[in-house]
Amino acid sequence: MAGQQSASRVDDANLIREAQQGNHRAFEELIRQYDQQVLRLALHLTGSPDDAQDIYQEAFLKAYKSVGNFRFECSFYTWIYRIVTNLCLDHLRKRQVRKEESAVLNDSDGEEFSLLDTVSDDRAAHNPERDLMRKELGRKIGKALTRLTERERMVFELKHYQGLKLRTIGEMLNTTEETAKNTLFRATQKLRTSLSEMR
Amino acid sequence: MNCEWVKDNAFLYAYDELPDDQRFEFEQHVNRCAACAEEVKALKGLREVMSAAPMMEPSPSFLAESRMKLQEQLEIAQQERGWKRWFFDPFAMLSSMKFSPALAAVILMVGFAGGAGVAYKIAQKPIDKNGPPQPTTAASVDASISGISEIQQDPNTNKVTIKYNTLTPQTAEGDLNDARIQQLLLYAARNSANTGVRLNSVGLASKQTNDSKVRDALKASLRYDPNPGVRLKALEALGPYVKEDATVRDVVLEVLLHDNNGGVRSLAMQTLQPVAADSNVRMELQYLAANDKDVAIKRQAKAITATLPEID
Repeated sequence: MAGQQSASRVDDANLIREAQQGNHRAFEELIRQYDQQVLRLALHLTGSPDDAQDIYQEAFLKAYKSVGNFRFECSFYTWIYRIVTNLCLDHLRKRQVRKEESAVLNDSDGEEFSLLDTVSDDRAAHNPERDLMRKELGRKIGKALTRLTERERMVFELKHYQGLKLRTIGEMLNTTEETAKNTLFRATQKLRTSLSEMR
Repeated sequence: MNCEWVKDNAFLYAYDELPDDQRFEFEQHVNRCAACAEEVKALKGLREVMSAAPMMEPSPSFLAESRMKLQEQLEIAQQERGWKRWFFDPFAMLSSMKFSPALAAVILMVGFAGGAGVAYKIAQKPIDKNGPPQPTTAASVDASISGISEIQQDPNTNKVTIKYNTLTPQTAEGDLNDARIQQLLLYAARNSANTGVRLNSVGLASKQTNDSKVRDALKASLRYDPNPGVRLKALEALGPYVKEDATVRDVVLEVLLHDNNGGVRSLAMQTLQPVAADSNVRMELQYLAANDKDVAIKRQAKAITATLPEID
């Protein structure tokens, strides 16, 4: 696994060098390696396919424009995630200012839908009652997540849903591991409180 | 290790972030302290509950659509970058040349020889006032053409005849490999209002699919041409590239999902069959097999997915 990781880093480094010399194909290959994860992160954080697509595009365009300044001080993965998390944080901040975020959103026809309704349930033992409970729980979780600050939300997202190490999260958010740790602590405390209040 | 420390760090334990030595002591303490065990249980419970909101996975079609849009944006950025470099940063271009004196010398020699050759040809050529002006560059080709009226190929050779209009109708003849003929063909594929002309140009361009410009033009025809016959021709030409060129695969997948013509969709599915094991393609095929409104497409998708190996 570690061998694979370092091989992938070497490949990335070669591709970055080629991209820095103007090889568009090399840059496209770099995109291919990470774009699905980037889109997933943006989709989960924004809850909106349109916003996620905007962030995805902006992130890779920024990366394209500044790949010449990449100094190999971190991995490409950390670098692109740093760009995406900054864009997502900006987006979350703007949305917080516009309105209190809700787990219930409006689709293009103005109909209300829950984020969880957009996730398909293709498990074999499909049970409508359990599905309903799952959706209800999903709504509660969505609401609890809105009570976190943007930064707490981001750290929790990267730790819980993306499974990243706190050290990497600190690197991505331009902060220390200790700060990321404290932020995760506050996030878990708030979530516990919120969810117990909703019971 | 006391209860306060354990409670403050229980979330790190729940998320596998405690170093091994602390983890061992932590577990020892929790085994003998009911209050701390309760705290750990609560945090593990929180982790489980939060996992009830699963990750929203972008669907393959959403990913393909996002990739196509990004590709367009990148192409615009690439063009802008090229122009900016020339207009705003000519010294950067020159500075890169100064480190390559051999390359600069070669460019100068080629430029000098080219210029001398052109001057010699002009001096030798009698001026024909009635002769048609010959477009020589892509820019002048595009700028001077008002339309292409006909394309014919000699069935026994590579020779192509293209009738096109500037201010007066003109005709260009040449080998299929001739750069000017290729430019005209790509122009016709993009701009002609005549379906027959587009059909012919796409058909002929498909013999040059190794050229990335030709492939891009074919992708554009496949996505945007209003005529299904032209789209089918472009699809046939791109078919051999679904394995090696991911951008071709994305376009074919997009066509399979969104084209309004059943025949084009059916051929798109057939084209994707060699890469049906690709996770994006597989997911879309499974979706079509279960949900597509077109019964024939549904059946075709079912038949292909039935041949795929199970995923554990």
